[in-house]
Amino acid sequence: MATDNRIHFWRRNPKVPGSLQPVYGAQHPPLDPRRHRLLKDAPKVSSVNTKSKKPSTFHEFARSTNDAWDIDDEEDDSVFSLKQLSSSPVQSQYMPQTPRLKIIKTPEDTEPLPPSLDRQEPISTNPSQERLDIERGPANGRVVKSSSDAQLNVNAARNTLQKQQSLPVRPIIPLVARISDQNASGAPLMMVREKTRLDKFKQLLASPNTDLEELRKHSWSGIPREVRPVTWRLLSGYLPANRERRDLVLQRKREEYFGFIEQYYHSRTDENHRDTYRQVNLNPRYCLVFQVFERILFIWAIRHPASGYVQGINDLVTPFFVVFLSEFVEEDVENFEMASLPLDTQRNIEADSFWCMSKLLDGIQDNYTFAQPGIQIKVKALEELVSRIDEDVHVHFQKCEVEYLQFAFRWMNNLLMRELPLRCTIRLWDTYQAESEGFSHFHLYVCSAFLIKWRKEILSMVDFQSLLMLLQNLPTIHWGNEEVGLLLAEAYRLKYMFADAPSHYKR
Amino acid sequence: MSGGAELGFTEHLFKVLVIGDHKVGKTSFVKRYVKNQFYEELKTTIGVDFSMKVIDWDSHTRVRLQLWDIAGQERLRGLNRVFFKRSSGALVVYDMTNGSTLDGALNWKHELDSQVMLKNGRPIPAVLLANKCDETKVCRRNASLLEKLCQEKGFIGWFQTSAKENINVDEAAKFLVKHILQNNEESVKEEEQNMQINLKQQSKSNSTCC
Repeated sequence: MATDNRIHFWRRNPKVPGSLQPVYGAQHPPLDPRRHRLLKDAPKVSSVNTKSKKPSTFHEFARSTNDAWDIDDEEDDSVFSLKQLSSSPVQSQYMPQTPRLKIIKTPEDTEPLPPSLDRQEPISTNPSQERLDIERGPANGRVVKSSSDAQLNVNAARNTLQKQQSLPVRPIIPLVARISDQNASGAPLMMVREKTRLDKFKQLLASPNTDLEELRKHSWSGIPREVRPVTWRLLSGYLPANRERRDLVLQRKREEYFGFIEQYYHSRTDENHRDTYRQVNLNPRYCLVFQVFERILFIWAIRHPASGYVQGINDLVTPFFVVFLSEFVEEDVENFEMASLPLDTQRNIEADSFWCMSKLLDGIQDNYTFAQPGIQIKVKALEELVSRIDEDVHVHFQKCEVEYLQFAFRWMNNLLMRELPLRCTIRLWDTYQAESEGFSHFHLYVCSAFLIKWRKEILSMVDFQSLLMLLQNLPTIHWGNEEVGLLLAEAYRLKYMFADAPSHYKR
Repeated sequence: MSGGAELGFTEHLFKVLVIGDHKVGKTSFVKRYVKNQFYEELKTTIGVDFSMKVIDWDSHTRVRLQLWDIAGQERLRGLNRVFFKRSSGALVVYDMTNGSTLDGALNWKHELDSQVMLKNGRPIPAVLLANKCDETKVCRRNASLLEKLCQEKGFIGWFQTSAKENINVDEAAKFLVKHILQNNEESVKEEEQNMQINLKQQSKSNSTCC
């Protein structure tokens, strides 16, 4: 692995239960899956038996995703805020935190989005395709065609044609307003700067072979809204840098995802998948978005039996979903209804969210395997790092008997999503996807910077209770790009200081 | 975990765990108890959530309850060692509409007893909560089963509760606090006795000295 020769600050403490698995994703450049296929395949034994897993239910998932943007502030007019239509009697009860995605109500008996009828034959793998190590579940013996080598040649000829025919015309509505930083709107100089930035992105994206290094460099300090969806697809390793291949890859991956749905989803009530499904199932099913999330999580869970469904994973779908949705939504999302999008568009958003979430999770898989060793290691590392960079805070915690695990578990498990408004998470992920090992490694430094950001408040709290209350309800509700930018700058400084010389700075 | 007395007024601080399987309504219970509110939509608890409840128990006693609402997902049980220590009592919750969560509750109780105990070696007081009782009814057979389970597994009692309809929430908590206070009194007495014994021994040794 490319990163093995580096000393990882947070991997030095072995005193946590569970096995430590190599991190082979969430890094840049994204690892070539072909080279790492063996490594990847190893833990994925041929069984899809997830019986022993106890993922949480989808009902909970729905709840937690609802709260992923638990903002009550009216002035939050971000395109990313979602408003949910409280669409069923069940929902009409008091809801403390109104999610803002307006979700169209579907009849309760609506079956999950069926694969579209006019769908073409799945396009076969092209030779350079990432091999998808699908476990052929005992579900029904049907095989996802796109992994089949036999189809290769047949479909190769069709590819060109399909490329022209089958991709829907995507009604891209440019987000004209507020391309600038939300904190700097109205400042003409900033507008100009943002415009230049946007042009740079457009230029990079339009070139026949996007220079990913360059794209990362520019993305680090935030990606303009219009180009965020395609930039995220590129940075996550989902889209190829080669512009010509993009449409084809997109189409193939989307077909592939819906191939999984076809292959597995009907088996959700089978004996061997029932447990998994029960955990991701939303009952009663009353809206499109929940059905989308349910499918994504179910498919991910049965394809990753080592972790299955873990609380928190559901949160991680949201930023992708919202960003990919934003391509089709104008400023006013209050009145936006997902069902008003063409079916193909809905499907594309779903498939892209699935793949990008999968790419992300590949890199932080040890966060979610049994006993969650990745999280425990990271919390330990946070403690160690804070003890070095801010002894006052560290000692104060000790004095009040606050343990880092009590508040930072969630920071690691949900990548700070519970601590920040969704718009900030999205901005944060611009950088995480631009930074080498952003989700798996750089996040530690962001958490440290985040903690120290509140040092004054922390030191003013005199006992365990008040400290924990503060730490579990940090007042970030009005945060925007500026605050996240400062946080990231501080995190970068910390990383620079400590990442490669941990012993030198050891107390 | 109790505060000092001042002019006969005592303030106590107790750590109370709220444990049980995933999705049985622990957080809803706590929110109802602390804020007297019920939320249809709640975040899944990740790790542990903290709340405080202050109870003016009587004219000379105030109790501060530090409620530790612990995530129910199984794979995190390794963390319980960290979260359980120095707790004074526990509410062990199961979902009446999901039978397997009762087995889960018994496992949680077992784990609780293996991790914490009172100074005198007895288990810390734990109440079994049959939550979501608004959605179903306890039949008589179930009631006697629960009664039996409580005796076998060392719960101090059980309650049918509904966080949604605010049924037995305060009552169950009060019942637990009463036992915690009793235990506390007993341990204070035991300590006093020990001190007296020590004093006697000391005065004896002093007297022989003089």
